[in-house]
Formats: sequence, structure tokens, C-alpha cells
Amino acid sequence: MAMIIINGRAVECAEGTPVLKVAVDAGFDVPFYCFHPGLKIVASCRLCLMEMRSKDPKTGEMVWSPRLIPSCQTPARDGMEVRFDSPNVRQNQRAVMEDYLLNHPLDCPVCDQAGECWLQDYSMKYGNALSRMTEPKTVNPKKSVGSKTLLYQDRCVLCSRCVRFCREVAGTNELCVIRRSSYAEIDAFPGIPLENKLQGNVVDICPVGALLDKDFLYKQRVWYLKTSKSICPNCSTGCTICIDHNNGRVWRLRPRTNRKVNTWWICDEGRFGWKYVHSNQRLLAPMLKGARVTWDAALAAAQQLLAPAGKAQQGKGVAVVLSPMMACEEAWLLAKVVRAAAPQATLVTGFVPKASADELFPVGLTDQAKAKFIIRAEKCPNRCGVEAVCKALGGPQATFADFLAKAKQGTFALAWIVGGYSQEWVTRDCSDALSKVSQLIVQDIFPSSLSARADLALPSCAWVEREGTFVNHAGIAQPFDRALPPPVGCQQDSQYLYRLAGMEGLYRAEKVREQMLDKVAELRDLWTPPAEARGMH
Amino acid sequence: MAWQVINREIAAAPADGKPLLTEEVKAKIARFFPKYETRRAVLIPALHVVQETFGNVSYQAMKEIGEFLAVPPSEVLDTMSFYSHFWTGDRGRKVIVVCRSLSCQVMGHEALLEALRRHLAISEHETTPDGQWSLMTEECLGACEHGPCMLINERLHAKVRPDDVARILADPNCDKE
Repeated sequence: MAMIIINGRAVECAEGTPVLKVAVDAGFDVPFYCFHPGLKIVASCRLCLMEMRSKDPKTGEMVWSPRLIPSCQTPARDGMEVRFDSPNVRQNQRAVMEDYLLNHPLDCPVCDQAGECWLQDYSMKYGNALSRMTEPKTVNPKKSVGSKTLLYQDRCVLCSRCVRFCREVAGTNELCVIRRSSYAEIDAFPGIPLENKLQGNVVDICPVGALLDKDFLYKQRVWYLKTSKSICPNCSTGCTICIDHNNGRVWRLRPRTNRKVNTWWICDEGRFGWKYVHSNQRLLAPMLKGARVTWDAALAAAQQLLAPAGKAQQGKGVAVVLSPMMACEEAWLLAKVVRAAAPQATLVTGFVPKASADELFPVGLTDQAKAKFIIRAEKCPNRCGVEAVCKALGGPQATFADFLAKAKQGTFALAWIVGGYSQEWVTRDCSDALSKVSQLIVQDIFPSSLSARADLALPSCAWVEREGTFVNHAGIAQPFDRALPPPVGCQQDSQYLYRLAGMEGLYRAEKVREQMLDKVAELRDLWTPPAEARGMH
Repeated sequence: MAWQVINREIAAAPADGKPLLTEEVKAKIARFFPKYETRRAVLIPALHVVQETFGNVSYQAMKEIGEFLAVPPSEVLDTMSFYSHFWTGDRGRKVIVVCRSLSCQVMGHEALLEALRRHLAISEHETTPDGQWSLMTEECLGACEHGPCMLINERLHAKVRPDDVARILADPNCDKE
């Protein structure tokens, strides 16, 4: 550990941490653009310059150095003394801001970044209200640098975060800085556009409104958005994300810094993978033998179906397929409900969608330990969690393949099957095997051949409408919050399972989690990433 | 969208399948390999070789240089465009370079540049359709006492007034010492 003095206050930090990071983490307000904790340091924006005390070579006295020093590039050393509040430092911040604003258009009213723009904030804090520039401003054309990203060069401050991201994290090198000095621009080589699977991140790390997400362009003003903390359900990495929503709709997803799991990034599959939530094809009401019924009737029917099947041979003919898209709490509740009626019911971990292989970034890497980001081949968030729940409950268990094989032989009289996938998942094999099961309860987001022939079909909610816990591929259990209410006519899965389990009131994930703690070791240490200082995310 | 958008999703010039860098050009570039620790470091000499051979460095050439030196094309573009010496498009037989530094600016470089633009009917960093002339500006030509000055290929013209432009350009030897 090192002790350094910032603006006269002693701050403890790890030796060698950039002074800028130490200062921002300690709550000092230091402006900067180019520094990002996940990228190499280039010290190009010149906003974070500081004064430092050093030894005068002539007298040997400790004096404030006459020259300003970039704090991002200076590692903290024990006993160091720096300041950000001197007239010199302030003067530099004003001068640099004036330079950045020389050619910047005054288009905040039509800019997507307005409201979360570092240039706006800094020009309020460190800049001038009036520009001394009398010459006409340089106006550059916009560039479509990729199918999902737009570059509005006028607004760029050339911090080069996006360029470094493509080189260091994505490893695909699409973006570059062309020309130099006042002619410099961000660009992509013609015909080799920004098309890597992490490209959405360049929009996030752009401190100004230069890089824009075509999907989010002109959709919402950011100050109307409400943010919920969630976990991405698209692969078993389990990236922590923010869901930005307003008026009952999701508008965009952003990564939430989590050094244990996804660091600062998420992939585009996750970022743009929420569209199905607002599909008009969803199952929206419980259906009993193809007819719409009320929730009370549906839940009574579920119990009526379960009771006789559960009595025969202690319920050996009953199976419950717990989807890896379910949260641990939901899997627990459903397993409990089924086991209460049929003590010998088989617990099955549901269908696990898989891609051919994990995708490692920077591209071309093969060593998982060195990867800066991994998109996992397992395209579901909670296989580990559902398996842990099944293990904790004991009794008859089966894998999904085993279950289908047994179902084909006519072992099961009743199966409760949970889907919840964003895409069509019922294969020919699956529906053939399940045709041998005489009674089906299907709980799914979208209608399928299974829900069509089910005795009882219950609508499932998308993850943005639920709350619970996902356990990722490495066994890290992360809770997620509900962002939106379920669509009209639907109930949160956990809510109706809660009722079926005989519990009263509103479902809260914490309450169910408490009951599970003794049995499911995975849920004992929930991991919620600590909030990071502004700009360090 | 109402604004003008440059599309980077399509190639600037579609490749016709034939490689631009012949074995001979590649051999010329390869001669620099022993002088540097990495292939990447040969990028600038390679750009020189290509411009000397073809008169410019086209996008196609940049791609091929990138392949040859194992450098992504975007980085070749990044490095190349940093130097105004390298041309992407057609370069005229005679390149006029007008100084835009302080002393030339004070002595009226803008009027000179405007006269050239009008005379040649092209703007900065462009080439006349007949391939005769190219026009560009540079930061300093190192002849501050002679401002405004301009360079035509290797020859420096000092204290050029806008009225002189037609006379100077009419001289077939204006680019020779």
C-alpha cells in the first residue's frame, strides 16, 4: 500500500495505481476523457493534468513542479504529493475545454448523448459559457462505420477509446485515427466496417455523442429512462447489465461494471437480444385445453392434474422439466410444488441451447485465462443454478436427453415442462418423445407445438419481468431485479408458483432465497459488484 | 437520414482480383526486413516503395501492404494518412504545395491559394482531370523570409503574388531547379 497526498488530503492506495484513478476513486472531481480502466493509457486528452511536488535539482528542496503532469500516466508512489485545485491546473482545464469546444456543434438538443455526455458536464464545470471562436466551425460528414454504429465526427474529442477498444479488447482493429492534428478523424477502412461482436461497447465508452447506436438513435431522451440492475440471460457468462426502460418498454441494455464476471463489456448478442420481450406473439393468458381461462381456474386445474398423477406409485410417473432459463428461486418453487403432490417425481434440468464453441476476445485467442471477454457456447443463464437446486432436493433426477428417452418409452403420465427460451426450441425429437406423455403442463413465453397440445399452458415472463438469482458457468450467484411489470394478463412465474406452493402475498426473491440457503450452497454468497466511481466503469 | 453519410460498409474501390503488389515490388519491400526488428516497422518504407512505383497508395495497395506485413488495413490507413506526403487518389505530374504557416499566412497565403484554386479549378488535395496538377498545403516549407511561398515538385517559388500564378504555371520548367 502507498499513501499519497491529493489536494492536501492523505489517500491510501495500491502502489502503482494511476494517480487519476486513485483521485477519482477517492471522490475527487477530476475531468478526463481518454483514460479507461480497461484500456491502455495514452494520456492524449490532457484534461487530467495535475501539479506534483518534486525535488528541485539545485536546492534539493521539495517544490511544486512548474510543468503539469498527466495524472493518468503517473503511477502512485508512497509519499507523493499532488494537487488538482491550483490555479495552474484550473487554467489548463479551461484551456483544454475551450479547445474541445472550438468546432463542437451546438446540437445537444438533437444529440442522443445529451444528459449523459461528459463534454456537456465538463463544459458546465470547467468550460466557458461563451466561445471566443469567430471563424466558421469545421463541419464533417457523418459516417456509417458499421451496421449498428454511426459516427458523428463533429462531436468527437479524439480520445481514441474506441480505437483502443477495437485493437485491445475485440482484437479486430476496425477503427483507426486518420490524418492528424485538426484534420484528424476516427474512421474505418472502407469495406472493413466495425462488425465485431462487441461493437456496441464503443458507443458506451464514447464519452461524447460521437459514436451512436443505430438501434437506440432518437428513441428516448436518457433522462426519461429508468434503470434496473439485471443479469444478461443470453449465455452462461452471466454479464451484469443495466436495463434502461421507460413507459413499460425496454429501450437499451448497458453493461454494469463487474470485475469478477464481465469487467466493463457485454456482447452484442446480449445487448440487442431483448427484442423478443416486446414480441406480439407471446402467450399472454393461461389456456386450459386450448381455451382461455382465468388464473384461478388455471391454478386449480394445475392442482387437479397433479393430484391423481401424484397418487399413483407416489408420483413416479410425474416429471418436471426445469428450464435453465429459470431463476433458482423459480426452479425451487416449481420443484417443491410438484414434489408436494408427487414425492417421487423426476427432476429434469431442461434443454440447454448450445452454440458450437465459446468465442474468445481478443479474436484469435485460444487461452481462456488470457481472454478479455468470452461469449459462452452455452446460451442460457442458469444451468448451474438449476442443477444445484435439483441436487439439493435429491430424489429421482434425469438429464434432458434421459428424460426424452424415458418419455419415449411411456414412463411418464404427466410432465410439467418449462421453456422460456427466446427462440423456437421444441425439436421434432422432443415433440415425438413427448407425444407419449399423456398429460402435459407447459409453461413458456411463446406458443409452440407443445403448448398447443398441452392440457394446461401457462404464460411465462421474460427475464426483464422477473426477479431472482442466476448462477453462472463459474458458480457465481448473481441476483437480478425486475425492470418491467408482466404484460397485461400475465403473472410473474414465481408469483403463481408461490401461490401454488401455498404461500400468501407477494413473491419476493429474498424470502424464497432464505428458505433455500440451507440446501443450496451456491446461493450463500451472492455476488453483487460494488458501485464504481464515475468514469471508472 | 437527412444528413450526408459516408458509408464505410462498402469498399472504396472493389478489387478486380489482380494483386497490385507484384513480386518485384514485394522484393523491394522485403529488402528492408533485415534493418528492422519487426515486419510492422517496415510499414513506412513500404509506403514509400509503393508510392514511388504507382504514384500513390490506393486502398487496394494498403490492403495488400497490410497482408504482406501482417498489419491490419486500418492501421496502414492510420499511419499513411498521418503523412501528407502519401497520396490515396491520383497525384498530378506537378504537385503544388502552398505554405500555410504563420509568416506566409501574414503575407497572404490565402489569396495565393485562392488564385491557384481558381486557376486550376480544383480545391486542396485534389488533382486536375488531365492529371497535370495537384494542389495541397503544408505547415512550413522552411522559407519563412520569402512568404508567401509555394513549392512545385522540388522547386521553391518565393514571394508569390496572386497575379504571378498564371505566369509561373505557364512555364513548362516551373518544377525544375
